[in-house]
Amino acid sequence: MLTLGPISFLQPWLLLGLAALPVLYWLIRATPPAPRNVRFPALRLLRDLQPQEETPARTPWWLLVLRLVLVGLIIIACAGPVINPAAGLPGSGPVLLLVDNGWSAGRDWPARQAHLSRAIDAAERAGRPLLAAATAADGPGPPPTISGLMRPADARGWADQLEPRPWPADRAALMAAITEMADHGGLETLWLSDGLDDPAAADLAQTLQRLGRLTVYLPEAGDLPLVLDTPQTEGGDLVFSVRRPTAAIEGVGVVRLAGDDGRILARQPFTIAAESDGTDVRLSLPAEARNRAALATIEDLEGAGSVVLVDERWRRRPVAIVGAAPTDSSQPLLSETYYLDRALAPFAEVWYGGLDDLLERGPAVIILPDSGQVTPDEGDRLDAFLAEGGVVLRFAGPLFAANPDALVPVPLRAGDRTLTGALSWTTPQPLAPFPPESPLAGLALPDDVLIERQVLAQPGPLVNARTWARLADGTPLVTAERRQTADGTDAGWLVLVHTTAGADWSNLPLSGLFVDMLRRIVALSAGVADTTDAVALRPLSTLDGFGRLGEADAAAMPIAAGTFAETLASPTHPPGFYEAGETRRALNLSPAIGPLEPLALPPRVATQGYAIEAELDLLPLLLAAAMALAIIDLLASLALRGLLAIGPKRGATALVVALFLIPVLGNLSPAQAQGQSLSPENLALLAANGTYLAYVVTGDPEVDAISQAGLDGLSRVLTQRTAVEPEGALGVDPEYDELAFFSLLYWPITQDQPTPSADAFARLNDYLLQGGTILFDTRDAGIGRINEADLRRLTAGLDIPPLSPVAPDHVLTRAFYLLQTFPGRYADEALWVMDADETINDGVSPVIIGANDWAAAWAMDAVGNPQFTAVPGGEWQREMAFRFGINLVMYVLTGNYKADQVHVPAILERLGQ
Amino acid sequence: MTAATLHGRAEALASTLPPLLVEAERVAAVVAQGVHGRRRVGVGESFWQFRRYEPGDPVQRIDWRQTAKRDQPFLRQLEWEAAQTVYLWRATDGGFRWRSTKSTPTKADRAGLLLLALASLLNSAGERVALLDGDSPPGLGRADLSRLAMDLQRTEAGDDSPAAALPPNRAVQAHAAMVLFSDWLAPLPAIEAALASFQSKVEHGHLVQILDPAEVDLPYAGRIRFSGFHNESALTLARVDTIRQAYQERIAAQQEGLRALARAAGWQLHIHRTDQAPERALLSVFQALAGAGAV
Repeated sequence: MLTLGPISFLQPWLLLGLAALPVLYWLIRATPPAPRNVRFPALRLLRDLQPQEETPARTPWWLLVLRLVLVGLIIIACAGPVINPAAGLPGSGPVLLLVDNGWSAGRDWPARQAHLSRAIDAAERAGRPLLAAATAADGPGPPPTISGLMRPADARGWADQLEPRPWPADRAALMAAITEMADHGGLETLWLSDGLDDPAAADLAQTLQRLGRLTVYLPEAGDLPLVLDTPQTEGGDLVFSVRRPTAAIEGVGVVRLAGDDGRILARQPFTIAAESDGTDVRLSLPAEARNRAALATIEDLEGAGSVVLVDERWRRRPVAIVGAAPTDSSQPLLSETYYLDRALAPFAEVWYGGLDDLLERGPAVIILPDSGQVTPDEGDRLDAFLAEGGVVLRFAGPLFAANPDALVPVPLRAGDRTLTGALSWTTPQPLAPFPPESPLAGLALPDDVLIERQVLAQPGPLVNARTWARLADGTPLVTAERRQTADGTDAGWLVLVHTTAGADWSNLPLSGLFVDMLRRIVALSAGVADTTDAVALRPLSTLDGFGRLGEADAAAMPIAAGTFAETLASPTHPPGFYEAGETRRALNLSPAIGPLEPLALPPRVATQGYAIEAELDLLPLLLAAAMALAIIDLLASLALRGLLAIGPKRGATALVVALFLIPVLGNLSPAQAQGQSLSPENLALLAANGTYLAYVVTGDPEVDAISQAGLDGLSRVLTQRTAVEPEGALGVDPEYDELAFFSLLYWPITQDQPTPSADAFARLNDYLLQGGTILFDTRDAGIGRINEADLRRLTAGLDIPPLSPVAPDHVLTRAFYLLQTFPGRYADEALWVMDADETINDGVSPVIIGANDWAAAWAMDAVGNPQFTAVPGGEWQREMAFRFGINLVMYVLTGNYKADQVHVPAILERLGQ
Repeated sequence: MTAATLHGRAEALASTLPPLLVEAERVAAVVAQGVHGRRRVGVGESFWQFRRYEPGDPVQRIDWRQTAKRDQPFLRQLEWEAAQTVYLWRATDGGFRWRSTKSTPTKADRAGLLLLALASLLNSAGERVALLDGDSPPGLGRADLSRLAMDLQRTEAGDDSPAAALPPNRAVQAHAAMVLFSDWLAPLPAIEAALASFQSKVEHGHLVQILDPAEVDLPYAGRIRFSGFHNESALTLARVDTIRQAYQERIAAQQEGLRALARAAGWQLHIHRTDQAPERALLSVFQALAGAGAV
């Protein structure tokens, strides 16, 4: 192979043909162009006429050059030129392909496959046999080993079947296999590594180096694998940490938390600083959302290491109430546990029973309602529980007041304090605002919560610091003490509420504040492992090497219940969900991954990156160029012989074609944002001359572009499927644009949108009164109600009739398609329309409110490809989103016509009689 | 072009001109047989009437059969007919069936069209027409015209030898008119010889030279290999554009010679190019026929 710069020739001896070019030059030059043949009747008259000057007919010089280039191209093409040829594998011994295919390989697997394929090609060219080895075990069976000598075709089959595995690589086992391998002599090794170090790596590299040449492929610093660790709960937040080998460059990404149904619950971008090996990512989300979480991933990063499965441990906290379940009581309203149960059930799992049984089950929080004295033995066990991070919540009551014990955060006075009654001067006390350092700070205080009786704390130096809530007169209502573990780190909380959990002493348990307070307190607890009675957990679904959750690996083995907590992900137990009865537990990969270090190689090891410069075979290109030149040559020859008539007529045709092409080319990037730069007059002119869908310009360029693209996409689909053929979408600003032209106004809610002025509100109200419809889209999928406050702010001045969720028989469900859901980019169910009883605007709702980010689902680019993924339903959900859009436009355009259609059978029947 | 379409096109062309009226008086004096019934007694072939014998009538004119039937002698009188026989011909040799570009018809096609149009006009004027090389005698009426078109079609597929460039030596009626279509590119002596046999009998002769524009202008340039139609050796010329002038002079000389030859025989020469409208040539030939009183 001959190499000239980036070009190599596979058959360089064919280039000798170039030497023949001068001969060709002489031949072509000596041969005049062939005369043109003409039959001519008056030949007799021409017979003895002599042209006045007979110049020698020579081929013109440019045709000569053209032909020489043509022949030169063909000769060069035959020599097989290749740009960026696959590196050759000089030498004669076998080639060992060593691939790291553990969890870390999923990130750039296609690049590894490509390199494998190139290496096999190169070995085939060099006629060398191959050996293959992967560092991760295929399954629970034997450890990774090294194959025998293979032909390239077999090696290709091996490479095609190779997959990344969701467990760590076992280089030590492979090391052993290599040590035992027969000596093939002149072994050359290509190690497609993941760039991570482990104890066996250096040994492996040295051994391979001793056997022959070693080339190690290393990922770029930015492509090193990331690991998402299992989260810690801090308050209501989930804190994930992202780990990586220390690298000199910044790393960015997004952690996404999704529910069982694939719905996105939270997204949080993160940045790993340069020279750092990780960062924490805090996901704040409501308890309801957290309880739905199933899967946390680093977005767009394939590989099992970037996936964390979330199970009950991070979800509903088991809360143990010492006492009988409220259903056992015939008079539930008198039972304290009834109020606790009602308050806790929405966000926690509630257990009942005796203290010993409950401690066995491992709750996160133990609640002691007014239960009398805690015995010293019970106190010790609760202390131990506190030291492990549990939360103990006690409530006062008559028994508690009468039987003081030691398990309290602050010393108490004996007895209790009555704030009301015939013999009392005082009145029931409301609550004072919560101290700012209290975990309860920020909760809204209802006016009507009054405390009538409480137990009193003994004044002392600690009381103030330990008080989380006070009455208006300053006496503590909730006190708490942070307990510590034996080695002095912070552990669980002991919390005392100085009044009852029932309605005897106060009406606090009847208020929403009680629920919020319990939620905050429960959130303080660490997740505590629960256990199950089952013997073993069998695999339910497992991750593959790309981090995709799928059917359980057939080879995955069940895990004994007792050892689940200590079990690490391995070929025997791949990461995934394991279940036993009702219990579902997640086995995550990250605990099995030790500290991440960049691969340390012995000196004098050749390294290479994974970036692929595609091998480009120039043969087809050169032959195509030669063919083009041949056609030009043919045309030129014809022209020289006068056979190519380019008359004025054909010239004109070409000119016309060119004139048509120019605007077509110019239109390839059509101006999209036409609506945003129009003056009100031009907008009115445009909108009056055609049907346009309109959206409110929010001022956020990204949102506005999505609105424009979304309504354009909807217009396109409407034109395809229905008689409605909108011209497109226009952006309007209610501050100064006339709205009367539009039947539908799409209004995405953003947080930075300015509140409309009084004029604008008047204009919008006028619009609504005259039959317009506004679709408000909070675009937050109903999760967290992020944009709800802004929706309130932006609609504060609008005359909105009473709203209710869309009824199953609402016109929107059958204006064109029969629908029962109204998904957009998200699939939240709530869509609010005017009450069915209202009769303004012929029953067409002036306002429709939802949260599904419809414009994003409708948005298409210039060629009609969707721009955003619809979650969780994918393309089917997008189709439903379009159907909703069509129904919506039909609804606003036809009013109650479809509603009246229901009466048609009745009317026909009456007419018939 | 099928006979039917050629016929149709020729009719359409002919219909644009008024029917040609024959100048009968002169013809009546010299020509025994005629075409036009004059609706009066005269010299002719058709029966006109029987008339009582009057003193002074030549005795030979008495129709004995009629006289025998009646008491008095009767004369048999014939209708006075005045007519002209027009012979038409066009060349069919290979060179005549040539055209330089697809936008013009071949010379033979144009000649066929003109020939039929002329026949149609003559027919509607009541003249007898015949193909010089056809097998049918001069005839009258539409049926004859159709037959003529068929004949023409047949000859078109026929002889394309060099001999077909010149009119065949056929016996013709005396005092006939004759219109010959060819490119007349043959050597002048050959043409003169071909026409010599007709000169004694033909009263009015017309040569129509039909040329392709390329034969007049020689629009070629560069290196060209010219080949003929009759096994002539090909001729390769470099820079044809330089000999255009000389060629055009030769064409002019040929036409001049042709004209002189025609004049000497009392004939006329009409020159037509295939890129010109056919009406023009038709009118020209017609007027020549009418003006000369031949028809």
